[in-house]
Amino acid sequence: MENLFIAATATSPEIDFHFDENVLSLRGESYPENAAAFYAPIIERLNVWLNACENVAITVEVTLTYFNSSSTKMLFSVFDALDRAASSGNRVQVNWYRDEEDETILEFGEELQTDFTAIKFNDCPVAT
Amino acid sequence: MSGILDQNCCFFEIAQKRNLLFYHKGYFSHSIVAAMSEVVKLQLEVAGLSTSTRRRIFSSFIELSQNIVHYSCDALAEDQGQGGAIREGAMCISAEGERHLMVCVNPVATAAVGALREKLEPLRNMSIEEIKQAYKMSLRADTPPDSKGAGLGFLTMARDASAPLEFAFHPREGDTDTTLFCLKTII
Repeated sequence: MENLFIAATATSPEIDFHFDENVLSLRGESYPENAAAFYAPIIERLNVWLNACENVAITVEVTLTYFNSSSTKMLFSVFDALDRAASSGNRVQVNWYRDEEDETILEFGEELQTDFTAIKFNDCPVAT
Repeated sequence: MSGILDQNCCFFEIAQKRNLLFYHKGYFSHSIVAAMSEVVKLQLEVAGLSTSTRRRIFSSFIELSQNIVHYSCDALAEDQGQGGAIREGAMCISAEGERHLMVCVNPVATAAVGALREKLEPLRNMSIEEIKQAYKMSLRADTPPDSKGAGLGFLTMARDASAPLEFAFHPREGDTDTTLFCLKTII
């Protein structure tokens, strides 16, 4: 399957899904005009790829410095898809990079861990 | 020259006295919000606020201004826009001692006032723990059909605020179909 790359804009993150290397990255800020329209095709591509994954070690690098409320909801769906893949025989490790002083991003990370227990979650506070 | 100064100094004086960080009245579109974000970020950086305070002000700024883009009922005619929504409103950010006041005003359909009140009123009596709990539930719930976002916006603002959200509705002269909606958050 072809890799997925979407360049960052001021209001949407860079999406860099190296399906060939099993490494998925999301980087930047997320407050697009329509979060559902931005994330729906990404989640669709992700699901197609995940459905074909068997016994794969997947690494997800997340460096999101800000996301608005509607992006938060869509990100929850991204992690839901990853969790299902982890429950069906794949190993998913999420590296969650955040400003060490950013409690909101820490708390959202904790929320994800509560719901998506099949994912190995690695909190990575970064000093600024 | 002095005429120009006389007419405008009153506005600048008030802005200075009230520690105005940001003010915009007029059209809001997604690209206008993106440009304003640059201004707000820079202002907050220069003001030397903590990461956490900056984060909460910026988050509330985005939620408030995207509310105007999506829900204000004063829209520019469709054909004038580049496909995206352009709607009218006003946004003000000012500092009062350690606190930051953010006030947003935009017209809404008078018929929508009841629904807005029902969403906002309960938040005023909730503790921060209850707000976080409601936020977690809303995060996992299906998106309401009338919402363009996640229905999480008000809860996000309430979570970031250091006092209950304040809101008011003002009837508009000569236009009973629309009502001015005023929303205020303190960070």
